[in-house]
Amino acid sequence: MIHMKKHISPYRISVVLLFSLAFVPDSFSEKTTDSLTVPETRLSLNYVCNANDSVTLSATLSVKRDMTIKYLENASLFFYTSDGLNKRLAGQAKTDSEGNSKITISLSNLTGDQEDIIHYTVEFRATGIYPAATAEFNAKPASLKQSFIMEDSLRVLRISATEKSTTGKEIPVPQVTVNIYIPRLFSLLKIGEITLDDLGVGTMEFPKELIGDSLGNLTVISKIEEHDRFGTVQVMNSINWGIPKHYIYAEGPSRELWTPIAPLWMIITLVILLVGVWAHYIYAIYELVMIKRHNKKREAISPTV
Amino acid sequence: MESDKNILLKEFAPQLNRTGPWGYAWISFLLAVICLGIVAFFFQVLRGHEVTGMRDNVVWGIYIVNFIFFMGISYAGALISGTLHLFRSSWRKPIIRMAEFITIISLLIGPCFILLCIGRLDKLPYLAIFGRIQSPITWDVIAISTDIFGCLIFLYLAVLRDLATLRDDDIIKLSKWRKKLYKILALGYTGTPEQQLRLNRATDVMAAMIIAIAIIVYSVLAWIFSVTLQPGWHSTIFGPYFVIAAVYSGSAVLILSMWLFRKIYHLENYITKKHFVSVGVIMLVLAAFYGYFTFSDYLTKWYGSEKNDELLIRLLFNEYYWYFIISNYIGVLLPLIVVGIPKLRTITNITITSVVVIIALWLNRYLIVVPTLESPYLPIQDSRPEWLNYGATWIEWSLTAAGVAVFSLLFTLASKLIPIVPISGFHHDLEDKKEGISA
Amino acid sequence: MKEQSKNKSTRREFLKQGLVAGAGIAAGTGLISSLLDARTSESVEKVKVMTTDGQIREVDKAQLKLPRVSREESHYGIPGRKFVMVIDLAKCKNARKCVEACQKGHHLPKGQEFMKIYLLQDSDKTSPYWFPKPCFHCDNPLCVSVCPVGATYKRSDGIVLVDNERCIGCKFCMTGCPYSTRVFAWKHYPEFDEDKEPYSPEAGSPGKEGTVSKCDFCPDLIRVGKVPYCVSACPMGVIYFGDIDEDTVTNGTDTFQFSQLIKDRAGYRYLENLGTRPCVYYLPPVDRQYDVSLGFGDLNEEIKNRYNETPYVKKHKP
Repeated sequence: MIHMKKHISPYRISVVLLFSLAFVPDSFSEKTTDSLTVPETRLSLNYVCNANDSVTLSATLSVKRDMTIKYLENASLFFYTSDGLNKRLAGQAKTDSEGNSKITISLSNLTGDQEDIIHYTVEFRATGIYPAATAEFNAKPASLKQSFIMEDSLRVLRISATEKSTTGKEIPVPQVTVNIYIPRLFSLLKIGEITLDDLGVGTMEFPKELIGDSLGNLTVISKIEEHDRFGTVQVMNSINWGIPKHYIYAEGPSRELWTPIAPLWMIITLVILLVGVWAHYIYAIYELVMIKRHNKKREAISPTV
Repeated sequence: MESDKNILLKEFAPQLNRTGPWGYAWISFLLAVICLGIVAFFFQVLRGHEVTGMRDNVVWGIYIVNFIFFMGISYAGALISGTLHLFRSSWRKPIIRMAEFITIISLLIGPCFILLCIGRLDKLPYLAIFGRIQSPITWDVIAISTDIFGCLIFLYLAVLRDLATLRDDDIIKLSKWRKKLYKILALGYTGTPEQQLRLNRATDVMAAMIIAIAIIVYSVLAWIFSVTLQPGWHSTIFGPYFVIAAVYSGSAVLILSMWLFRKIYHLENYITKKHFVSVGVIMLVLAAFYGYFTFSDYLTKWYGSEKNDELLIRLLFNEYYWYFIISNYIGVLLPLIVVGIPKLRTITNITITSVVVIIALWLNRYLIVVPTLESPYLPIQDSRPEWLNYGATWIEWSLTAAGVAVFSLLFTLASKLIPIVPISGFHHDLEDKKEGISA
Repeated sequence: MKEQSKNKSTRREFLKQGLVAGAGIAAGTGLISSLLDARTSESVEKVKVMTTDGQIREVDKAQLKLPRVSREESHYGIPGRKFVMVIDLAKCKNARKCVEACQKGHHLPKGQEFMKIYLLQDSDKTSPYWFPKPCFHCDNPLCVSVCPVGATYKRSDGIVLVDNERCIGCKFCMTGCPYSTRVFAWKHYPEFDEDKEPYSPEAGSPGKEGTVSKCDFCPDLIRVGKVPYCVSACPMGVIYFGDIDEDTVTNGTDTFQFSQLIKDRAGYRYLENLGTRPCVYYLPPVDRQYDVSLGFGDLNEEIKNRYNETPYVKKHKP
C-alpha cells in the first residue's frame, strides 16, 4: 500500500479532478433536464440521378442523445452543388416528421470538376441546442434508357447506359450491373438483373406473369445502384405488359354468414318461424280478449251476475 | 263440485294468507344471499371482469353453465306441463302448476347469467339496435324473448280459473289489494260454456306452441356452442342432446320442488307417491336418452380420435375424472336403478336421486363448457396458472348462489299469490267430460 | 378537451392538404395513389404530419403520428387491395421483437398479445419449431359470422377489424375463432391511457375495458405506405406482407413474388381443414437458419416458463 501511494503524483490527481469536473455537470444535467445534454445531430444524403437530366437529393436528419435516436422535424436543410471550387446553393427544404427532406435539381446548367464529378453537400445549420451537421456526395451524371421491344412474340427489355464526356458527347458506360424493378405497394419488386456489354447495352426477356394495374400497365424502374463513380442512376417508364389486376372484391360477396346482410334463406327461415309462433300467440290473446268481452256482454244482459 | 272447491280453498288458505316465522326466516335468508350476489355484482362492474376466474382461454365460466342450467329447467317445465296438458294425464293436476312456475321463474333468471358474462352491459341495447341475424346470439335473444312471452301466456291461461276462484272466494280473508288484483287478472271469467271452450282452445294451442318453442330455443342455445369449430362443441348431436339434458334436469327439479312443497305446505293428500313415481318414470326415460346421447357423442369423439378430440377426452378422464363419473355415469345410472327397480321406488329415494341428477347435470354443462375451452387447437402456452386452468372465484359463486336464491324466493312468493296446486273447480268440467266421451 | 379538438381539426386539415398536394404530384404518388387505383408509377411515398408552428420538433421513431380514420370509414377497405401475410418458419428464432413492437404500437398491456409465438411440435418424432401467430384475417371468418352486433367485420381489403366502441364483450368471437387469436380487456389497463389520440378501429387503440380486440394488420400504417409493426420489427425478416392481388410480399428488406415464394417454399395455411380460408400463409421450417434452442436465448424467466409444458422443454429438462 505504501509502495503504491508513492506513485501517485500531483499530475495524476489533477487529471482525475479534471475528469470528475467534466462529468459533474453532465450527470447533473441528465438528472434535471434533457436540454442541457449536448445532442449529436446526424445527417445523411441520398443521391439519385434521373433520366431527365435531373438529380434528386434527399437528406435525413436525426438527433442522438442518451443512446436514443429521434428524427428532427421542421428543420431547414440547405443543399449545395459545387464543381470543386465554387459552391452554389441549389435549394432549401424543411424536414418532415421522419427527418426527411428532398429536392430535385436540373443538371443542365451544372458543371463538374476536371473529371466531370459534381460535389453535392447538404447542411444543417446550428440552431438552438442542435449543433450543425453536413453530409456530402460526389458523383458523375449518367443516364439510363429503357426500351421495350417485341421480338417474335417475345417481350424484351433493352437497357442502355451513357455518360457525358467532357466534350458533351454521349458515350456508353460498359460493364455495369443494372437492376430491374417493379414498384409495389410497400417496396420495389426485383424482376431481373442485366450486366451491360462493352457497348453499354443489355437485354433480358420480360417476365410474363407480372400483375399490373387494372389496365395491365406496369411501371418498370431500371437502376444502377451505388456505383463508385455514378452513384445511383435510375430510369422509370410505363408499359402495358402486365396482367390486369383482378379485384377479388370488386363487387364483394353480399350475402354470406359474415357479411352485414344475412343470406336470404336465413331471413326466410326466421320470418317463417317468427310468424308461425307469434300468430299462435295472437290467437291465444284473441281468445282471452273474447273471454273478457263475452263476460261484458253477459253483464249487460243480466247485471246481477 | 262447489263443495270440493271450498275444501281445497280452506286447505290452501294458510299458505295464501299468512307467512309464519319460519317463512320469514327463509325469505330473509334468501334476501341475504341475494344481497351477497349484489355486492359481488358491484365488485365485478367496478373492478372489471378480472375479478372472475375467466381469462382469454376460458372466456366463459360458470355463468354460462348456470345460464344453460336455468334455461334447461325452464324448458323442462314448459315441455312437461305442455305435454301433460296435451295428453290430459289425469294425475298431472297437482304438479302441473309447479312445472309452470319452474318454467317462468327460471326463464327469468337464466338470461341474467349470460348478462353477467357480457363485458359491456352499458351497450346491451346494441343487441336490438345493431342485431345481426347471422349470429346465434341474436337467435337466442329472439328465441328467449319469444319463449318468455309464450310461457307467460301459457301460465296465465293455466291460472285463469284459479284467479277467478280466488276473486269469487269468501271463505278465506284476503286483503283488499289482492282481491282487486285477482279481479283484474281474472278477466271476468265465470266458467260459461263459451268461455271454457275458448280457454281450452287457447290453452291447447299454447301448450303445443311452448313445446315447439322449448325445443327450438334449447337447440338454439346448443348451436351457440356447436356452430363454432371448437373440439367438443362442433357436434351435430348438440341440439337434441341439449333438449334431452334440459328436460332431464327439469324433471329432477320438479321432483325436488314437489318434495319440498309437499313437506312445507303439507300436501301429502294431493301429491302422493303416485306422482313421484310418474315423474320418476319420466326421469328414468330421460336418463336413458341422456345416457344414450352422451355415449354416442363421446364414443364418436373417442373412436375417431381426431387429435384435439383425443386431447379433450384425455382431459375429461384425467383432470375431470370425478366430474365426468358423477355427471355421465352416476347421473345416468342412478335413476335407472332407483326408479327402475320397483322396490327402491320410495319418495325419499326418488327425491335423493333427483338431487344427484341436478348436480350431475350442472356438472355436465361444466364439462361441456370449461374443458373444451381449456383445450383449444393451438395449445395454451402461458405461465400464468389462472390463464391455463379455470377456477370460479367467490364473485362467481356468490352470484350463482344469488341466482338459486332468486329462484327460491320467486317460487316462494308465487306460491303465496297463486295456489301451488290448482284449486279451481272449473278446471275439471269440460275436460273430464271430454275424457269421459273418449273413454 | 379543447386542445384535443384543435388537434383533430389540424390533422384533418393536414390530411386534406396532403390529398391536394398528393393530387398535384404528376406521377400520382403518395396517399391518394396508394389508396385509389394501383396505377402507381413510383413506390409509395410517405405522407407525414407536420407541425405548423415552425419549431424544430423531435419525433420518436416509434411514435409517428398516423392518420386515424373514423369508425364509419374503417368499415371500408383500402380500395383495390387484398392483404396477405407470409411467415417463414425457417427463420424464426423467437426473438420476440414482433411482439414487442406490436405491443408498443397498439398500447397493449403485458401478457395481452396480438402476436403470439408458440413452440409447436406436430408429433413426437417431428421437429419442434417456433410459430408466430397473428390474426389470420380469414376469408370465411367465423368470428365475424357469430358477432351479434356487427362489432367485428371483414373489409374489402381482407382485413378483419374490431370496433371496440360497438363491441358488447360477449366473447362469442373468442370461442368462434379456432386459432385463439382474440384477447379480452379484463379490466382497464393503464397502458390504454398512453394513447391520447381519439379511438379508431384501424389503430385498435386506445383499448376499452370489457371488449375484445386482436391483431389488425395495422391499416393505419398501411395507409401511409408502411408495413405492420411486426414486419418491420423482425430482425430475421421472418414476416412478409403485401397485396395478394399484386402478387408481391415484402419483409422490408427483400421483396418477393408471392406466388413464386409459395411455390418454391411449399407455403401452406395453418389448419386448412377448418375451412376458414386464412390470409396468412406459412413457409415450412426447412433448412433452418437457427436451432430451435436459440429461441430460449435471451428470454426473461416469465416468457421462458410459458413453454414449460411443451414436449420439447419437458424432454430437455435436466
